[in-house]
Amino acid sequence: MKTICLLLISCGLYLAGQAQDLSKMFEDSTAGHQPVIGTFKSTRIIMGHSNETLKKHELDFRVAHRFGDIGGSFGGGKTAFGLDNSTDIRIAFEYGITDDLMVGISRAKGSGDLSQVFEGLAKYRVLKQTTDDQMPVSLSVFGNVTLSTMTSSIDETSASHFEEFTDRMTYVAQAIIARKFGDRLSLTLSPTYVHRNRVGYMDMNNMFALGGSGRIRLSKRLAFIAEYYYPFRSQSSKDYYKAQGIEFFNPLGAGLEIETGGHVFSVNFTNSTAILENQFIPETRASWLQGQFRWGFNISRRFSLFSKKDWKK
Amino acid sequence: MVQNKTLKKTNSKQMKRFFFLMAAALLTAHAYAQDIYSCRNVHLSFFSSAPLEDIEAKTDKGVSAINLKTGAVYFKVPVNTFQFKKKLMQEHFNENYLETEKYPYAEFKGKLANPAALSGDGTYDVTVEGTLTLHGVDKAYREKGTITIQNGQLTSSSKFKVRLVDHKIKIPRLVIKNIAEVVDVTVQATYSLATQK
Repeated sequence: MKTICLLLISCGLYLAGQAQDLSKMFEDSTAGHQPVIGTFKSTRIIMGHSNETLKKHELDFRVAHRFGDIGGSFGGGKTAFGLDNSTDIRIAFEYGITDDLMVGISRAKGSGDLSQVFEGLAKYRVLKQTTDDQMPVSLSVFGNVTLSTMTSSIDETSASHFEEFTDRMTYVAQAIIARKFGDRLSLTLSPTYVHRNRVGYMDMNNMFALGGSGRIRLSKRLAFIAEYYYPFRSQSSKDYYKAQGIEFFNPLGAGLEIETGGHVFSVNFTNSTAILENQFIPETRASWLQGQFRWGFNISRRFSLFSKKDWKK
Repeated sequence: MVQNKTLKKTNSKQMKRFFFLMAAALLTAHAYAQDIYSCRNVHLSFFSSAPLEDIEAKTDKGVSAINLKTGAVYFKVPVNTFQFKKKLMQEHFNENYLETEKYPYAEFKGKLANPAALSGDGTYDVTVEGTLTLHGVDKAYREKGTITIQNGQLTSSSKFKVRLVDHKIKIPRLVIKNIAEVVDVTVQATYSLATQK
């Protein structure tokens, strides 16, 4: 009798439990590994790329600007703290082919050995961090090719003296490892490789660099961002250029990022004058400590193309 | 021997009673299963009409169950499965407004006002009362809907309004002309008898 009673009670309990809470029926249907969204607000941080890509059929129109030195001999009141000068300007159209693959073309004024630069780029999201930490980091890979259309220098030792067409080209390959900690902090680490087909004497055709960045969300629309690159320039190259009176510095930027609907607007200060990785990583010669930093901005406007067509599907 | 026989008798009597009770229990369980209908592809959509922009999103990843006997109604949907026309809007929806990483599900637990009325095939106007948990905020709702029973199949549909402020979903002043304060939600589900596990 005892067993029967127990059985009945358990049966009854089971039924009562179910009757009270229909939600129990769907406990197996939890969402599983969800990708973390919005590690960064934009495809760029300040100078370099974030792990984010455009979504399918999104067009991003980007304008980036770097002004002249705020301090130092070229800055100060007479140039309105650099506002009169622009060291680099970049205008780009970038497009999402799939949710994870984007491509783009751009034109940059260029700042460094080469100027008047066309760029073609691609970025692919390989890994996505998940909310349950089954995948602890996101990984994206970025690559670009640039082509300078400037007139070849008559100085045969110059980096801008082009003997062959390919001398006008440079390349960057980069892996961006990112992680979002909670909903306020995002960090990246970006091993980068820069190849320039033609460089000056004792400069390096191949250069590795390590980038690092952080974003701290201050409010829903405002974030503080900072970014740093450490280029691995050989000691002999550094020594040679130092003897010529040229010193290289590591690019460092800090700024605020404001998001307003489809726009992402970043106002920043950097010592690097160039916008493209191909230039600011190996060719930054401006120093924060000597007042050679500038304000700059990145504007991104994203448009959804074919949205009506995609919606029908 | 005699003692053994009596023992056996009681045993068989007990066994009989046991089987009878088990059968009864199983029958109740069976009858119970006939009352629960479930759906794993509930279609949900919402529509917001503001001066500058109409926003529309849909998902078919909702789940639902209805117990016709007790009138219990249950809905749940992973909020980040809503698809928008514009992917950027979808990102803002998840990140800024619904904060889906913090609040991944929207859930409704409620009761039919008069479950006894649902007898046999037909279309019934019903009233559902319950609590909607959205964006981590509970709010009591009392909404009208339709339930149709036909050949053992049950479909339900409802249209109701959700005021964003009720669920502490904040719309910044900057986009106040793009997002309506009240959103029309449509729910549609086709149920089948829940199979007892």
